[in-house]
Amino acid sequence: MTLSLYDARSAADSIWVFLEQDRNSLTEISLELLAKGRQLADQVGWKLGGLILGIRNSELCSEAVAHGADEVWSAEHELLENFTIDAFSTITFEMIMEGKPGVLLFGATPDGRDLAGRLAVRLRTGLNADCTGLRLRPGTGELICDVSGFGGGVLALIEMGDHRPQIATIRPGVFSKTQPDWKRLGELIKFPVLLKAEDIQTRIVKKVSGEGVDLTQVSLIIAGGRGMGGDFGALQKLADILGGEVGATRPPVDDGYIERERQIGQTGVVCSPKIALCCGISGAFHFIVGVEKADIFIAINSDPSAPIFEHADYCVVGDVHTILPLIKEALQTRLAEEI
Amino acid sequence: MQKSLEMMDQSGSNSYLIDEALWEKINERASGSANLCFQCGECTAVCPWGIVKEGSLKVRSILRGAQLGVEDWDKEIWLCTNCIQCQSYCPRGVQIGDIFQALRSLSWENREVEPGLPSMLWSIYWNDNPWSQPPSERFNWARGANIPEFDCQEHEFLLYIGCTSAFDNRLQKVAQALARVLTAFGVSFGCLGVNEPCCGESIKSVGHNPYFRETAESTARIFTSAGVRKLMTLSPHCYDVFKNHYRTVLQEESFEVFHYTQVLAELLENGKVSIPAGFIDRALENNYSWIDPDGVTITFQDPCYLGRRNNEFQAPRTLILGIPGINLIEMENHMQDGLCCGGGGGRMWLETPSGERFSDIRIKQALETGASILATACPFCLVCLEDSLNALGKKNLFVLDIAEIVDMAIGQSG
Amino acid sequence: MKSVVCVKVVPKSEEVRVDPETMSLIRDGVRSEINPPDMNALEMALNIKDRYGGQVNILSMGPPSFLPFLQAGVAMGADHIYLLSDLVLAGADTLATTYTLSKGIRRLGDIDLIFCGEESSDGATGQVPSGLAEWLQIRGLFLTTEMELDRNRLTARGRREVASGYQILEVPLPCVVSVKTACNEPRFMDYARKEWAFERERVTIWNAHDIDADPEFIGVEGSPTVVSGLAQAPTRERKRMFLEGSPLEIAGQIAEILQKNS
Repeated sequence: MTLSLYDARSAADSIWVFLEQDRNSLTEISLELLAKGRQLADQVGWKLGGLILGIRNSELCSEAVAHGADEVWSAEHELLENFTIDAFSTITFEMIMEGKPGVLLFGATPDGRDLAGRLAVRLRTGLNADCTGLRLRPGTGELICDVSGFGGGVLALIEMGDHRPQIATIRPGVFSKTQPDWKRLGELIKFPVLLKAEDIQTRIVKKVSGEGVDLTQVSLIIAGGRGMGGDFGALQKLADILGGEVGATRPPVDDGYIERERQIGQTGVVCSPKIALCCGISGAFHFIVGVEKADIFIAINSDPSAPIFEHADYCVVGDVHTILPLIKEALQTRLAEEI
Repeated sequence: MQKSLEMMDQSGSNSYLIDEALWEKINERASGSANLCFQCGECTAVCPWGIVKEGSLKVRSILRGAQLGVEDWDKEIWLCTNCIQCQSYCPRGVQIGDIFQALRSLSWENREVEPGLPSMLWSIYWNDNPWSQPPSERFNWARGANIPEFDCQEHEFLLYIGCTSAFDNRLQKVAQALARVLTAFGVSFGCLGVNEPCCGESIKSVGHNPYFRETAESTARIFTSAGVRKLMTLSPHCYDVFKNHYRTVLQEESFEVFHYTQVLAELLENGKVSIPAGFIDRALENNYSWIDPDGVTITFQDPCYLGRRNNEFQAPRTLILGIPGINLIEMENHMQDGLCCGGGGGRMWLETPSGERFSDIRIKQALETGASILATACPFCLVCLEDSLNALGKKNLFVLDIAEIVDMAIGQSG
Repeated sequence: MKSVVCVKVVPKSEEVRVDPETMSLIRDGVRSEINPPDMNALEMALNIKDRYGGQVNILSMGPPSFLPFLQAGVAMGADHIYLLSDLVLAGADTLATTYTLSKGIRRLGDIDLIFCGEESSDGATGQVPSGLAEWLQIRGLFLTTEMELDRNRLTARGRREVASGYQILEVPLPCVVSVKTACNEPRFMDYARKEWAFERERVTIWNAHDIDADPEFIGVEGSPTVVSGLAQAPTRERKRMFLEGSPLEIAGQIAEILQKNS
């Protein structure tokens, strides 16, 4: 059996979370992981640690503590301004070898998966990917992960024996974040960074924002059909709140209400979003084949016998023009409550 | 694009280089048919693309290129729906459809095909159907319907449903209706169920001949080992491919092929069955409020693949006329002149821009007849026509497959 | 340009069942296919071959029954299959799998580009590309939708979509390229090539010894993670649940579902 660089005996009683940032605050998944990490840590009496790499971390560290971290390992350096696997894997590896956490959590984001995958090999330890559930066995500190495979058809419980850290990447949106408690106290550990520019061989040549749309890469699609009567503005407002994209069936595209690159179906885009909300769409087969792989399928149509309901998880018989504004309000209220 | 070289000759006009090797290939694949063309232009004149598109589809010009071995065609060869309206008017009997297929087959070799088509072929390769549907769900249409599993000792016919009708929600209703009708008429049939293999027509229709051959061989083997003697299809596309293109694949003519309308029409003609008068009652129950209780007018869409391609115009009409209380009225283009719905030639997998859809014109023709039902006998026609009807928003016309109409007339619960 | 595409043959997800008694997967009668994202990886590799020349090799880990599937990849345009097949390799988790693949790649030698699909439809860990890069001590272009090489064939540039747009990253060769699912349309098989592609000569089968694999790092031995339980997930059939209540109540229910999952 291959051994990890450190084992259960030498591991600390701590759960660490790799925290990602966006525009000077922690991302949603980071907050969700802190919440779950806090819960697990409380169950077994362990410490919760957060890892932050960046150029100016103090606000992020405070945020991490407010959301449950007992200690924050912070590395600040201009070479850490953008994520590069070279710099981030080097620093996090050093942190891990020093702190020796029992459990190490990452969001299953592009950067998180990249980093977790590298570190797992570097540390010669196990990695459970895209987990939908986590449990810690009291007494032993063994992490049990719920992992689904085969497109969600099979659920596996996976653990690792003596290998540490036990690494898991978590799907965004699985756990809920909690409200911050700004009175919480935590320890700040400033981690020294010895990086040279030559160490970083991944060069970001270009960064471009907001060009075109590729529905195949989107996780929330709000699609409209003939029943929308051309009112795609209503769908766009909803998509903006949730960070999704608007799609359409062929008729509104034909009528010029929306661009062809947003047409979903056999002769349009075939996508597999996490959520598809289909509004005013009857559900003809050649549309359905473009969106049937969605994890969660919601349909709103005023015709109770619309074929789309055969393909939906949640069915609403009603007028889209009545319901959509109500959904928007409900969402805005919920989001306001969160803050 | 490997176009032939354009050369400027002395006088400054363009000329093209004739590619002998290309000419040989086309000549062989189209069995020399292009040589008969004398460029009269009738084909371009009658092509339905002329009704919907500025400049039409330049059939004559494409044929000229094929005749000479000059690569002067481009994406327009993918517009062809294989309706062979052109061929039916050609004074020289040029097999224009075959020539287009030959050009498509060359495009596959050059990897210059329309996007979406490679995925369609992969779908058949991995899933045994062109719609990327899970093969294990192929028989879901029959849930609760007690469809017999084909047994050559027991059943006269193999009822071949086809990929599109097996998976498309709307068309599954047609499959269910047909099964009920056959049972009611005492026809001895069974299905291959979840193991029904793809006929390969969609492959043939986009011109990939080697893969079509491979698929056909495999399907033919399944039919042979199942002991199939008579095969009845729901779709004219499957009918056409089994009837006309499996001959080159099978060692001998091992099974007879029928379209379901032919089987039912024969039963009617021989007086073995008659269709009850239940249609109007059933229509009224289903809220077809525009139906005239004193007599329903039906018009019929001749499927290109049944009618013009295989000369079967009568069987569907025999059925329609055999239904009590029905008047049949013909659309402006009917029988030999039937207007294509736009779905053939692989176009179900290609996007046709709004304003260029044959089925839009066809719906207008149907409405002009004043009929309350537009009857179809092909799954592609049904889908295309219903789509156009929904786009127009008209309510006083309903598109139904003949199997559904007969099923309603028999009036058993479904 | 010598490339490798790591290809996995997987059972069709919708057909996989769990045997409740033995708590293991029922594989009998389940159809297989090339992991769909690996088809996108193959297409990207072949596109690079079209533009820059060279060779594309398929590398896979599994039993000989994988071969007809992998040969479809050769018919698409790949040159050779290297199948790592050995009973001791079985039961590998990501760590052991990436180790084994890296040994295969080292045996091949002189590889410039290693293409992987983003994740596989069975395990879906999505960790093979980064793990592989780590074992080989090379850089990677992750979740790439398009790529190109520089004039001197020393670096590779890849486009990667991010939340609000895209990035172009550049790394030195050799590198791993993980290919974003559905970013391209895989070409169909070239039938002029197909018969040649399906000949046995296109295949090399290596066992653990052939790739100089350390027994401690392969198969079950080399896998830190262990499956302690397996269950059939609630059926994939759509719920078809009609929401009840006033429009306001229904809107609230939908808002909850949307918010929870986005």
